[in-house]
Amino acid sequence: MSSKWTIARRIVQILVIALIASPLVGLTIFQGNLAAGELLGLPLSDPLAFLQALIGGRVFVVSYLISTLIVVAFYFLLGGRSFCGWVCPVNLVTELADKLRKRWGTGNGTLPLASNRSTLALTLVVVAITGAPLFEILSPIGIINRAIVFYSLLPLLLIAAILLLELLVARRVWCRSLCPLGGFYSLLGHFSPLRLGFTPERCTHCSDCLAVCPVEEVLEPSLAQDAPQVAAGDCTRCMACLDVCPSKALTVKFGYK
Amino acid sequence: MDSESKNMAISRRLFLKGAALTPLTLALGGAAISAVYLRPAQARDFYLRPPGAIEEKRFLAACVKCGRCAQACPYQSIKMAGGEAVVGIGTPYIVPREMPCYLCPDIPCTKVCPSGALDKKLNDVEKIRMGTAIIVDRSACLSIRGLRCEVCYRQCPLIDKAITLETRHNVRTDTHTIMEPVIHRDKCVGCGICEKVCVRETPVIVVQKTPTLQKDHYEF
Amino acid sequence: MELTRRDFLKASAAAAALTAAGAPMLAPKLANAADDRGIKWGKAPCRYCGVGCCVLVGVKDGKIVATKGDPAGPVNKGLNCIKGYFLSKALYGKDRLTTPLIRKGNKMVPATWNEALDLIASKYKEAIANHGPGSVAMYGSGQWTVFEGYTAVKLFKGGLGSNNLEPNARLCMASAVGAFMNTFGSDEPMGCYDDLDIGDTFILWGANMAEAHPILFSRLIDNKLKNSKVKIIDIATRRTRTTQMADEYIPMHPQGDLAALNAIAHVILRDKLYDEAFVAKHVNFKRGTENQPYGLKDKEAPKETPTPLTFDQYKELMKPFTPQWAEKLSGVPAAKIEELAKLYSDKTRKINSLWTMGVNQHVRGVWVNNLIYTLHLLTGKIGKKGENPLSLTGQPSACGTAREVGTFAHRLPADMVVMNEAHRKKTAAIWGIDPNKIPAKPGLHTIEMFRAIDRGELKCLWIQCTNPFQSLPNLSRYRKAAEAHKAFIVVSDIYPTKSTEVADVILPSASWVEKEGVFGNTERRTQHWFKMIEPPGQAKEDTWQLIEFAKRMGLGHLFPYSEKGFYKEMWEEYRKFTIGTGKDLAPYEAYQKVRGLRWPVKPNGEETRWRYVDFDDPNVKKGEGIKFYKAKDHKVNIWFRPYEPPAESPDKDYPFWYCTGRLLEHWHTATMTGRVPELKRAMSEATLEIHPEDARKLGIKNRDKVKVSSRRGSVILRAEINGRGKPEKGNVFTTFFDESKLINDLCIDAFDPLSKEPDFKKCAVKIQKA
Repeated sequence: MSSKWTIARRIVQILVIALIASPLVGLTIFQGNLAAGELLGLPLSDPLAFLQALIGGRVFVVSYLISTLIVVAFYFLLGGRSFCGWVCPVNLVTELADKLRKRWGTGNGTLPLASNRSTLALTLVVVAITGAPLFEILSPIGIINRAIVFYSLLPLLLIAAILLLELLVARRVWCRSLCPLGGFYSLLGHFSPLRLGFTPERCTHCSDCLAVCPVEEVLEPSLAQDAPQVAAGDCTRCMACLDVCPSKALTVKFGYK
Repeated sequence: MDSESKNMAISRRLFLKGAALTPLTLALGGAAISAVYLRPAQARDFYLRPPGAIEEKRFLAACVKCGRCAQACPYQSIKMAGGEAVVGIGTPYIVPREMPCYLCPDIPCTKVCPSGALDKKLNDVEKIRMGTAIIVDRSACLSIRGLRCEVCYRQCPLIDKAITLETRHNVRTDTHTIMEPVIHRDKCVGCGICEKVCVRETPVIVVQKTPTLQKDHYEF
Repeated sequence: MELTRRDFLKASAAAAALTAAGAPMLAPKLANAADDRGIKWGKAPCRYCGVGCCVLVGVKDGKIVATKGDPAGPVNKGLNCIKGYFLSKALYGKDRLTTPLIRKGNKMVPATWNEALDLIASKYKEAIANHGPGSVAMYGSGQWTVFEGYTAVKLFKGGLGSNNLEPNARLCMASAVGAFMNTFGSDEPMGCYDDLDIGDTFILWGANMAEAHPILFSRLIDNKLKNSKVKIIDIATRRTRTTQMADEYIPMHPQGDLAALNAIAHVILRDKLYDEAFVAKHVNFKRGTENQPYGLKDKEAPKETPTPLTFDQYKELMKPFTPQWAEKLSGVPAAKIEELAKLYSDKTRKINSLWTMGVNQHVRGVWVNNLIYTLHLLTGKIGKKGENPLSLTGQPSACGTAREVGTFAHRLPADMVVMNEAHRKKTAAIWGIDPNKIPAKPGLHTIEMFRAIDRGELKCLWIQCTNPFQSLPNLSRYRKAAEAHKAFIVVSDIYPTKSTEVADVILPSASWVEKEGVFGNTERRTQHWFKMIEPPGQAKEDTWQLIEFAKRMGLGHLFPYSEKGFYKEMWEEYRKFTIGTGKDLAPYEAYQKVRGLRWPVKPNGEETRWRYVDFDDPNVKKGEGIKFYKAKDHKVNIWFRPYEPPAESPDKDYPFWYCTGRLLEHWHTATMTGRVPELKRAMSEATLEIHPEDARKLGIKNRDKVKVSSRRGSVILRAEINGRGKPEKGNVFTTFFDESKLINDLCIDAFDPLSKEPDFKKCAVKIQKA
């Protein structure tokens, strides 16, 4: 069992936070945060924030659209909810909750995975009707970002609430079922050409991969059917399964099959 | 059978635990949310937005809370609202008494706004309309009482346009002039420098939301 | 000092009664003064500028809890500017000096008064023994009380035998003094502030009264509001808040005043607009020495040898100074010069000239003062109610102390000078000393004093109540000399300053109402106040410091005043100098009750508003009309003063004129106002005002940081475009209050050869984006 993917992922996650914090030490490589930012002059914007601004604020800025499309294209290529697994700082919190939860044996409830499709729809409906950008108001991502850059610490209570909820009530409930941005990326990632390849012949059916997968709905159906690819858009690309697989039955594959 | 009952026992325990914990967690979560969002908002009945902000209701949606305007501000005038702003959480605003907008000629805050919440096309500082300064306490204004203060006037970046001095005879002394700062709504950009520099403990000149124009047929 | 305290209480009661009976009161109280009970109110002149506003000081439990404009004050009638509003806070800064400090290496170590004074005395004794009395000096202030100035004069000139005594007024009023003396034979104006209320035409020569003389400006504008005839013309190199309220603004090149004034006189002569009878009766014509150096070399000591002229000779000399000639040099259009000449000679107008640092801080400052008097003397527009030239001052007692007491290197009290044997004799008689004790040679003037430190010739310098190591021109040279400890420097002040930084001994002083005092303002108004609170810690008033030093120098006998009657006895001694000179001061008690008296005080105790005139001045008999009784043969001088260029002008390398000055929120080097948080917030840093077009050409935007450099130094300032002041094209302006920006580093230490007053208004700089 190796953990090179997990290590790589942690490094990226921490790098992202470091980038967001970099202006505090006077660096100019990155400005802004995950909602919208500029990395070495390349503008990058969160697509869901774009949609909310477009619908709720009725503003349309071409450069903004372009910066959004860059991000959309990027995650489309990486597939799944790679944003969630590799970039989103909330993931660090929820993975911590998951670890503690497992140790303490608490909060084993669960909500349907597809709920985030509904929260995504709800977000868009609310912004369309009221003009209030529902997700941006509640977004724990934004809260963490602003806590880092602007020391706006009180809203971190909300993060604490999520931690508590996941620890004591239901497993990974925020990321799995409630986060509309997760919903957005799972829809997008579903069509990505970059997928998890599965070689059934090598599989020893040890189920180690299933044990580590944060989204059991992802691997289970594909493995059960001996499918050549794991197509689910909900895969966070955490690659934990690759790390644990003793027989290299799981690989990274490009292209549709 | 043995193992089954064990499983049952575990799940019951877990269920009981859940039954107790869920409401507790929800209560704590609720408290956190209300602590974040339901604190009293600032005394000013509106948020003074950075230059070029579009109309407030649309601004609240159009702003993606990325904080780039705040990062672009060379004076750290732009702050990011916390949960007390409710819908406006994470939106940029200015507290002029702490640090007003110094009207950078290139208006960098608007230039970096990705979403159009701040109008990128705004190029003339005199066209900025954040709010309007108003003397809210005439009886405490030293200039209106005849003292030679007029700090707000001299520090106004649009001196003689947004604030002018109107002179009148000081009836009390009979030999001096009262030099009253008068704010011109059509020129005031609402930068808040006057509010910042007012020498009174509570500023007597403050920036307020620009009142909506009430039209009539008088031409003066 | 029991008597004085009782007097203070009495005066407080009187003040309270006055205000209670008086007009609706402005009561700018401090936050902690909500409870008015138990507050004792006493009167005092404002601590800041030369306007001389009266304030009431509220004391409770040994602390000032409130100040307010004194409704009974004739100058301000209860008003103040924003500095005056926060007066008491200037005394309560957190970093007040409260204990003597002695330098030990790089550290200032607390010491007792005895240690500090013994050290100073030993250094002074050593220097005098080894190098003579010319090797020690004192640099004082136009903010000294009369007592402090008088003590210093007596100690240095009468005791130590050194004329090396200068006030910082050398940097501000010396040129005005020079012209008062060489024109009228007596210092200080013939008119007074009443002229601002009565006159109808006011020509401002480079004076930003709106900011530098706030309350006076308020009076001037009120006259304009009341009388539609009133016309205010602002002639300057920079648009200011004064310009904004003036009727007309005439932009002028730096140094252009010499040309413009001459051309106005030329037109008056050419068109025979002068008052022939007045000229014949009251005026002599003279020509001075021209093409004098600018004092840029050390030890340069130019002398003026006047030659008399006839009126016709004078007219002939003035012929080349046509309006067209002046237009080229001054930028003032020839037509405007013609207009101004008409205005100055308009019999239906009461014309007043007003000026201050623009004219005085000038390498030909005395000349410009002379030329302004020329216009008034040619047209006879002088010595009338509402019609006078008025030289405005900048310090609360530049007149009262520096000029009347005579704390300059060449002066003695009441217009007397050390060069004059009779004057020395009179002085020695009053002081009870040997006349030979007072050296006949003037001491080092300010710039020479600090140069002498650099040269290693001056061994000891005691600075009181001023901050030269921020305010001197070409500052680096003098700071470096001090930092190298080329002389033993003592600084008495109330806060740490740029000057205490370089001191070997720092003495904590009492300020303002922490001591009893007398100030004299611009209009000859002498104002008295009592001590109302104790100074903090071990701080002591400057008079005490000087006398304790005198005792250690074996000169204690010069100050034989009793403890009880200290101030009164010293006053009465000083007053002897003034009696019968036309500068008569009143007995001490007289000042305790009133809000000042303008000298000469008449035998019946009344003040004099207008000098030299039979309707007011007790020295002129009724029917005599105007009598310039202080001038030789009762005739005043019109001087022929041609145009001469400034010491340094812009060129290819340094293309901008650099001008410095004051603003309303802060005073001088902000030692006091910088301790008032409200004023700090209102104006936090010095900026560089620049014309929008110049800024555009240099790619400078508003608030950009720019580097301003002259041949002597550089400073980084924020650009201010279209703000409160707008210099003409090719000019920049900044203010000297900000101790974090030593802007005087850039100034040239060129000075007027007659007044030795440096020119802070003109030198050449370049500007780059920082």
